[in-house]
Amino acid sequence: MTALLRVQDLKKYFPVGKDLLGRPTQVVQAVDGVSFSVEKGRTLGIVGESGCGKSTTARLLMHLIEPDEGRISIRGKEFGNISGRHPVAELRRQMQMVFQDSYASLNPRLTIEDSIAFGPQIHGVSEREARQQARDLLEKVGLNPNVFVRRYPHELSGGQRQRVNIARALAIKPEIVLLDEAVSALDKSVQAQVLNLLSDLKKEFGLTYLFISHDLNVVQYISDDVMVMYLGQVVESGPVEQLYQNPAHPYTRALLSSVPSQTPHERKQHKVLEGDPPNPIAPPSGCRFHPRCEHARAICSSQQPETTRVEGLHQAACFMLPANPNHEKYIQLQEVSA
Amino acid sequence: MSADKLIDVRNLNVTFKGEEGPVYAVSDVSFDLAAGETLALLGESGCGKSVTMKSLMRLHPAHKTRIEGQINIDGVDLLSMRPAALSAMRGKTVSMVFQEPMLAFDPVYTVGDQIIESVMRHEGFSRVDARKRALEMLERVRIPSAAKRLDAYPHEMSGGMRQRAMIALALACKPKILLADEPTTALDATVQIQVLLLLKELQRELGMSMIFVTHDVGVAIEVADRTAVMYAGRIIEEGPVDDVLSNPWHPYTQGLLGATVHPGMDRKQALPAIPGSPPQLTRQITECAFAARCSYRTDECMKPMPAAYQAQTRAVRCIHALAEV
Repeated sequence: MTALLRVQDLKKYFPVGKDLLGRPTQVVQAVDGVSFSVEKGRTLGIVGESGCGKSTTARLLMHLIEPDEGRISIRGKEFGNISGRHPVAELRRQMQMVFQDSYASLNPRLTIEDSIAFGPQIHGVSEREARQQARDLLEKVGLNPNVFVRRYPHELSGGQRQRVNIARALAIKPEIVLLDEAVSALDKSVQAQVLNLLSDLKKEFGLTYLFISHDLNVVQYISDDVMVMYLGQVVESGPVEQLYQNPAHPYTRALLSSVPSQTPHERKQHKVLEGDPPNPIAPPSGCRFHPRCEHARAICSSQQPETTRVEGLHQAACFMLPANPNHEKYIQLQEVSA
Repeated sequence: MSADKLIDVRNLNVTFKGEEGPVYAVSDVSFDLAAGETLALLGESGCGKSVTMKSLMRLHPAHKTRIEGQINIDGVDLLSMRPAALSAMRGKTVSMVFQEPMLAFDPVYTVGDQIIESVMRHEGFSRVDARKRALEMLERVRIPSAAKRLDAYPHEMSGGMRQRAMIALALACKPKILLADEPTTALDATVQIQVLLLLKELQRELGMSMIFVTHDVGVAIEVADRTAVMYAGRIIEEGPVDDVLSNPWHPYTQGLLGATVHPGMDRKQALPAIPGSPPQLTRQITECAFAARCSYRTDECMKPMPAAYQAQTRAVRCIHALAEV
């Protein structure tokens, strides 16, 4: 089966600081060689801690920031601001985004209806049609159009505003929706409503989601596939059940075991990672996780581990995996004394 | 009121004077805290959990706030305290850590200086001794190369490290009570659990009591002995954390737990969300504030709410839960 969205070797380095001649003195390797693909109708969850590059990845996909390198294609059509690639405007008709801050992402001076009808008009829909569509969409996201069309963002609650943002994203009739921490700021009781809405809309419109979140429980619930990022790189990916039940990368294991238990009688013994995620300006050599990894050996600090198959579509980048081409070397080397 | 209660709050009402009339942020809240105990105030945004907490240190601006009721802290009536006594109490008897350490620290002083100042003021230490205590505290909260960090400014630290430094500052004068207002919410998962476990450990070592404000059921389970669930300015259910969160009595607690995504949920099933949203607190609500969203609602619910029903170690404010208990 061919992928709907395919991303190959995406890279973005941000310059930090300038010397006398205006040349950057350092770079943040925000996204460093990220590749993945999503099949139509599936939800890919992207998890990781702050600074891991998950939001930058989303912004690069939308071309809100220009990638340094890499290819983004939908149905085999490659998009970008380079000659020979399809224009970004067309990409944005097929892919839309919902952000975490529901208030900041709406123009405070536009009514809800104007906000939703704005995009389609830019893409050539007549005003009358766009407004009718906006009303229909409000109905679909559970807001009564007769009550809400004339309202302004500040008159709405956080949950209602996020529904408006979802309606606006859908107004262009995209195939893919990027949800960047879209439910993270909502209270749990409202979050559940919006998650249900997302599931319903996905079925109704045959959508494909990229669901970016730091909430591992929510990602497990909503995703079909999951990708774990650490310091700008993908360390593990695979179908949700396999990845959650049998995490292969030591970072994924630590991440999953750090989630507080949700039922009192299943209070876990936490395996706690030491230290904070390192600074992406000067990421560690070799495997970027090695300074925090209890299994690290000499090879881990000198060489980047290849992405290796764990089982089926489940893969991880770690020398500990038997299938890793350098696994033998890893076994032979001594433990690094802490 | 029994003597072993470090905190005893009775019928607390906090009303803010808003531009468009009063906001009834906290209504008729009563709870207590024993020595060495941890209580989690659990609830969603706007439920009054942080307002309750700040009242315990009298941090609300006096000219905009009306506080009624009784707050006794370590046997002293907080609401009649004079400003001098209040400053002596803050940081010494009761200390607080916040969600955003960048706002809690003064950016123009080093972390060490801020801890030293507090120790000199409350403990009467010399500067040299206070510096020793500050270093000891930074080591205790496991800040790497603590001696060097003592002279660091807040912005030179990572989020997790700043949060540890704030805990060091809060605990530098060995308070009897620590108030923690969502101290781990802004932290990454792997750092959050480090800080939670650290707080628990320090609490045991120093024999403190703790009140922990959180919206996260998981966090309450990790740290607390007891929990009080708040909704629309009231405590609607209270009891041992294991009992309340494994067998909730109040329909809101039931709804909140049901709506919280947890592992092992059926991914094909819709989440049991609570319909609607919490009420505005611009009106004094006398009936059950959850009634509008509640599936058990009857006409009885719209009458003034009865006092909490107590059953051994637990309490609940719902006439329907009463019938079940």
